[in-house]
Amino acid sequence: MERSFTKEVELLKLGAGQTFHGEGILAVTKALLQSGISYVGGYQGAPVSHVMDVLNDARDIMDELGIHVETNASEAGAAAMLGASINYPLRGAVAWKSTVGTNVASDALSNLASVGVRGGALVVIGEDYGEGASIIQERSHAFAMKSQIWLLDPRPNLPTIVRMVEKGFELSEASNTPVMLELRIRACHVHGAFEAKDNRAPQFSRRNAIENPEFDFARVSLPPATYAQEKHKVEVRWPAAVKFIRENRLNEVFEGPIAELGIVCQGGMYNVAVRTLQQLGLADTFGVSKIPIYVLNVTYPLIPEEVGAFCSGKVAVLVVEEGQPAYLEDALHAALRRADLQTKVHGKDFLPMAGEYTGEVVLTGVAKWLAAMAPHVENAGVDSEGIRSVLDELSVTKMRAVELLGGAVPARPPGFCIGCPERPVFSAMKLIERESGAFHISADIGCHTFSTLPPFNIGNTVLGYGLGLASNSGIAPMFSGRTVTIMGDGGFWHNGLTSGIANAVFNKSDGILVIMKNGYTSATGTQNIPSSRHQTEWKSGDMSIERALKGIGVEWIKPVYTYRVSEMAKTLREAMSSAYRGLKVIIADAECQLERQRRIRPQIAAALKAGKRVVRTRFGVDEDVCSGDHSCIRLSGCPSLTVKAASDPLKVDPVAHVNNDCVGCGLCGEVAHAAILCPSFFRAEIVQNPNVLDRFVARLRNTVIGWLRPAEGRS
Amino acid sequence: MVLPERPITILIAALGGEGGGVLADWIIAAATARDYPVQSTSIPGVAQRTGATTYYVEIYPAKISELGARRPVMTLTPAPCYVDVMVASELIEAGRAMQNGFVTRDRTTLIASTHRVYTVAEKMQMGDGRFDSAVVLKAARELAKRAILFDMQAQANAAATVISAVMFGALAGSGTLPLARADCEAAIRSGGKGAEASLRGFAAGFDAAAGPAPSKTVTPAERKRLSGSERVRQTFPEETRAMLEEGAARCAGFQDRSYARLYLDRLEPIVNLDHAAEGYKLSNETGRFLALWMCYEDVIRVADLKTRRSRFERVREEVQAKPHEPLHIIEFLKPGVDEFTAVLPRFLARPLKALAEASGLAKKLNIGMHVKTTSVSGFLALRFLAWLRPLRPLTSRWHEEQILIDRWLVAIATAAKRDAELALEIGLCGRLIKGYGDTHQRGKGNFLRILDTLVEGDVVPDDRARIDAIRKAREAALADPEGRKLELSLETLGIAPLPPRPKPVKFMRRPQPEKRRVA
Repeated sequence: MERSFTKEVELLKLGAGQTFHGEGILAVTKALLQSGISYVGGYQGAPVSHVMDVLNDARDIMDELGIHVETNASEAGAAAMLGASINYPLRGAVAWKSTVGTNVASDALSNLASVGVRGGALVVIGEDYGEGASIIQERSHAFAMKSQIWLLDPRPNLPTIVRMVEKGFELSEASNTPVMLELRIRACHVHGAFEAKDNRAPQFSRRNAIENPEFDFARVSLPPATYAQEKHKVEVRWPAAVKFIRENRLNEVFEGPIAELGIVCQGGMYNVAVRTLQQLGLADTFGVSKIPIYVLNVTYPLIPEEVGAFCSGKVAVLVVEEGQPAYLEDALHAALRRADLQTKVHGKDFLPMAGEYTGEVVLTGVAKWLAAMAPHVENAGVDSEGIRSVLDELSVTKMRAVELLGGAVPARPPGFCIGCPERPVFSAMKLIERESGAFHISADIGCHTFSTLPPFNIGNTVLGYGLGLASNSGIAPMFSGRTVTIMGDGGFWHNGLTSGIANAVFNKSDGILVIMKNGYTSATGTQNIPSSRHQTEWKSGDMSIERALKGIGVEWIKPVYTYRVSEMAKTLREAMSSAYRGLKVIIADAECQLERQRRIRPQIAAALKAGKRVVRTRFGVDEDVCSGDHSCIRLSGCPSLTVKAASDPLKVDPVAHVNNDCVGCGLCGEVAHAAILCPSFFRAEIVQNPNVLDRFVARLRNTVIGWLRPAEGRS
Repeated sequence: MVLPERPITILIAALGGEGGGVLADWIIAAATARDYPVQSTSIPGVAQRTGATTYYVEIYPAKISELGARRPVMTLTPAPCYVDVMVASELIEAGRAMQNGFVTRDRTTLIASTHRVYTVAEKMQMGDGRFDSAVVLKAARELAKRAILFDMQAQANAAATVISAVMFGALAGSGTLPLARADCEAAIRSGGKGAEASLRGFAAGFDAAAGPAPSKTVTPAERKRLSGSERVRQTFPEETRAMLEEGAARCAGFQDRSYARLYLDRLEPIVNLDHAAEGYKLSNETGRFLALWMCYEDVIRVADLKTRRSRFERVREEVQAKPHEPLHIIEFLKPGVDEFTAVLPRFLARPLKALAEASGLAKKLNIGMHVKTTSVSGFLALRFLAWLRPLRPLTSRWHEEQILIDRWLVAIATAAKRDAELALEIGLCGRLIKGYGDTHQRGKGNFLRILDTLVEGDVVPDDRARIDAIRKAREAALADPEGRKLELSLETLGIAPLPPRPKPVKFMRRPQPEKRRVA
């Protein structure tokens, strides 16, 4: 795991009267324990990876409370686990990244929502939307609507988030419906405080087992029960949910003096809306606003009575709703129409339809809306000119910066880490492309998707996690030459083994698959997978990709140590021209460098401290031999292989340079060899804590070389 | 009690893995210790792997105990024109912050490191793709209320710690936070591991921000100037001396003193034709590329450079080996037919090369070698090659290069008689000649293409238009290693493009299904 959570685990032990200081997603985890859950699971992915990570580090607390922690195989597996709450009074929670995880989970979610739950079932969805997102940009809202799962979107402060987790379980039980708690990426990582409560041990748990199974056909999703379930959803569960939400005041109204106007926002948008009003002189720092605000901490279902009460008497309301389609705005229109209220509904006409609602976006949209509503604002003694000047300042500042910078500064997208074992595979592919011309590559989800960015620009399609090979099934037969597919080991266990490999063997595919075996789901924070080398005592430690492949009937399997670029290129060439017809699998094998460094750094430090001999390896470029054409960089892209100004006054172009972050993986030297680049690269081996022999040999060599070396002339 | 009108907003721009999160945690710990409401957010995730990321912190400088039940509403995304302190761990990230409107004259203190971590887009260019740091520095001083700019990475290295500690020190030293130095240091100490090193970095950052601005923010590479020959001093104009002395010395080091004389002999007519425009730019640039070209990199040269004492010392320093630690240097060499024939006399080189081409072995005979130059045998092997230097004028490559150099110089001189600017453009084409193996061949091919068509050909009869065409062609050649952009640029002038270089294509066709046997 990328991070250790031993410190955070202590936070989970806090009791009543103590204050929790920490991240949003940890507050959710603490809230789960305060809610008396019996089981918890999920699938990793930013921004909710930490839920699983911290729970795995908190085994003693979990054991004490009797809570079962499951590392699910996929989001579908996690959603299916919620089935425990169908028949039994068990509270359970699972977490994943949305919308991708919700997509994967949707089969089980539909079934769960249809039959309904007895124990509270909560799905914590980490909404990876906007800046820093690594996935397609969609809303999870549609899933809630289509399956009638209630959707919570709390104001992004810890006390509200924690309250909504606790109320979420109650709502789930009161309405026999699973509940989703949506947290945007920044809310997951917001650092704040709340007053803790004691953890609650569940009624049934690993410590207090259920004795008798229950059977109720009404809780099985098979017709005719499913027909009754659909009716039950809309006739019983929905009204029960509406009643609970109203009575418990899950949504909030903040009144203000400009009663003709109002703002309706998702809970997650509240803080940015208030800040905007503050910037425009319409609110103070404590959120006391001149314009009334209706905060939807529950974004589905909408409560028509509350909407009517808030809007009645208002000329216009502005809906601050992030993402599209504008479900809330449309629902508001419908609710007002049904209530025959004439309040105008604005939203996407002032705010952008698509994209993250950042401070700037909301400020611009709200300011424009207020400018259009100027008479109402001025009635309350607010100068609408001031609002316009805020907008002007914004555009002037940015224009001035662009003018001074003379154009956009270079973008800095993410990329492979220093010494990443996946990079050499793409270097090898680049080399093969030189010989054979380009070939189609079906990429997959994982760190290896960075290959689509410069300098590699490798990978023609990306269709979903573990779906690389499946996505190639229609492409491969259409090409005269063979095509290549990439899959990570995370994707392999997530579903690639079945949807990709079993299927390719079954359909007698003639493709080439490269499996990136780095030992972890590295992109989500290096969590363990079934084939990880080092497992904890709670996990099975003997599951191999190779054996799974053989068991499924793959005959052509070649493991290659990724850093051997020439060998990787040779193996790829062999797979492409081999007479063997059938799936050819190349296993690109080397541990994630991030995790390797985390593991070996303390070991090396300890060895050095103990005075043991340690050889440190790193690479370098001879500045006076380098001619500055940077073809090595175009074939590597390693962050530690960079450029610097040539100290030679004759050279105008910067020379290549290996900085001190180099971990000595050797890729640059391998590439220089495989691509026949230049003689500039060297490997340096520094003997730390040298022994007597080391020192003797070094002295001898230096002396002899000193004799052989001519007097230093001019360059 | 009068409460502050609004929170203090701090935006931190950093690169993934630089410890921006730790910095945010320190600020939170220090503010919490003061009982101030504080909130931070970040956008971790895979997007952070080596990419640009931000951390956003708000502190409300009033004690929670004095606020009663009220709490400030703090936001999760920074708003342009509403950032009090902008901290950037790298110069382009400071530029990005300015571009996004987070640095404003009336509000923002900008604290940024002046060092550069080049982006892939900058460093993958064939020539110089670096964004001009001076532009960012100038913009920073103009846009910010106050700009604190210094090389934080250097300070971090000196203190043997990470850059986030220096950033925190600079932030505290800037006086923009409602936190005392002791609060900040206590926050670092409570972090435990590595606290001592972090505190050293913090102190360095604090002093740099609190004290007078360092006089030199960007230190230009120290350039060694060695005493030049008498001849340069006596014969050539003042403005050209630095370059020409350097060039002559390079040639003397590459071959011998008579080669240095040849260098000056070749330049003299061009200097005489130079009208001294832009400080003898024509002479200087021709002198630069002539020296680089004359001192081309053959195996003799590479072996010589790799076995020098100064090189061993430089490597030792670069890899941070301590004086008592033995250092082994292993060279990655892969000479092939080209490198071998280059040092043979012409009468042997030609038939051998032809044979290799014909048999298709030209690209296959490269021998990968790992030579340990710190061992006696490895050193001797390279030194032996370096000792071949006196024989170099007999080699085929020597002959080839001298002919082409003379052709280029004639073109420059001819142009200089008509138009100095045209001559300069031709001179600058010398930049295309560099690299090894394939890269060198491609560069030389592009150079010859421009020489054939635009310089010596008469496709563009008008000299003014010719200047423009040559410049564009040269830039196109530098922008694309494959030379396709150059052909596109030439095509706009009506020059028929060359067909794409044939690749040694090895069609990897899928074996066809066997024909069904008819029963």
